[in-house]
Amino acid sequence: MKDIALKEFLYKMADDQLILGHRNSEWTGMGPLLEEDIAFSSMAQDKIGHSLALYSILHQLGEGEPDSVAFTRNANQFHNCVLVELPNGEYDFSLIRHFLFDTAEYLRFEMLSQSSYEPLAQVARKIKGELRYHTLHANTWLKQLGSATEESISRLQNSLDQLLPYALGIFEESPYEKELVALGIFEGEKELKERWIAKVEAIIQLTSLHLPDLKLIQPQVGGRAGKHSAHLQPLLDEMSEVFRIDPGAEW
Amino acid sequence: MKSLDPRVERLPDIGEPGIIKPKAPLDQFGTYEVFVMPKEGKPFQHEGIVHAPNLELAFILAKEAFTRRFTCVSLYVTDTRNVYVSPLTEGSANVYDLIPQVTESNKGKEQFEIYHLTKRGKQHVHVKAVEAGSPQEAMYVAKQQLNSGKPIFNIWAIRTSDIRFTSAEENDLWVTLPDKKFRDAAEYKGGDKLKEFLEARVK
Repeated sequence: MKDIALKEFLYKMADDQLILGHRNSEWTGMGPLLEEDIAFSSMAQDKIGHSLALYSILHQLGEGEPDSVAFTRNANQFHNCVLVELPNGEYDFSLIRHFLFDTAEYLRFEMLSQSSYEPLAQVARKIKGELRYHTLHANTWLKQLGSATEESISRLQNSLDQLLPYALGIFEESPYEKELVALGIFEGEKELKERWIAKVEAIIQLTSLHLPDLKLIQPQVGGRAGKHSAHLQPLLDEMSEVFRIDPGAEW
Repeated sequence: MKSLDPRVERLPDIGEPGIIKPKAPLDQFGTYEVFVMPKEGKPFQHEGIVHAPNLELAFILAKEAFTRRFTCVSLYVTDTRNVYVSPLTEGSANVYDLIPQVTESNKGKEQFEIYHLTKRGKQHVHVKAVEAGSPQEAMYVAKQQLNSGKPIFNIWAIRTSDIRFTSAEENDLWVTLPDKKFRDAAEYKGGDKLKEFLEARVK
């Protein structure tokens, strides 16, 4: 039972990182200014690195090679939340997604650095600095643009309103939630969600943005169980295009 | 010029024959100077510049622009306009010989960071902090304290209060996954692979 619960948990985190890493990498060469293009692309690459670290733990637990796990599954075999697979729109959309997701990610790995499952706790401690930078980057932009001009504020607000239901989907509980908590592997999605709300509120308060009442929002769930939007499969097709030409190739 | 690439649209106006008009300001943010401490115990050195809308964002953008592959232990930034620059010398001319005496001001003293350029074409390296009432006085104080007669080609002075430092709690920004070889193009031994492939085909 422990193994099933643990694998399910690792897969959903690794898939989140891989898919968002790929989405964010689509900004490479298109960023709003050169320095931001570099920073955003670099963070996208960090996320792919995090997914690799988690897929490697899964491999040690008997799952496939990281490359084949990443590139050969179909959409319904992915456990990422729907938030990370949504196609990019304007930069405000990606910035809000980055803020909502990475705030959760930072808190999640902060919790996991105390996990009873040592390989995971080790990874969590190693990527702490990267996640600190990701949230510092997101918060700084949000504070800047969230109180700058009428256009920047309204654009961020629209993206925030649009993405909040999906962001709440990050915390969709797994069927093994109780086991994970009992085993001391993870304190649970409920606990994480509460910490996330407090943090998101604190940052939004520093801006001219308005955080709607989260209790009135229906979370967009399903991703953790393999039920995805129509946007995931095309992303996977593109991401694995080269790999699938010759899956045995050594790069 | 109409293009789908926004960068092309941002290119400066190339002008029309026979029409003379003032140069338009660049559609860019101002610049900030970036300094890094490559290793514990080493002095801060000038690393380059970033464009940014303000000091805080300059810090954020500098971090990835300059310490992405080669990590450091600390980084700081300051607005380019806050950097006071001495004349530039070359050969065996010591720039300290060109720094005039400044009568000590009675105004409140501030702390200035002093940087030396000891080799043309290399970067400025932090030497010491001095107390002075003005940037000019800071250079004169530096002359008294730091001039060994060995040629220095250029001096910078920056008010310490104008610098955005890495805070103590941000020190773990460079705690990252150690194995980042996947970021280096040189790690993909393309030539070796091509050779292997060609040799296998001959057989």
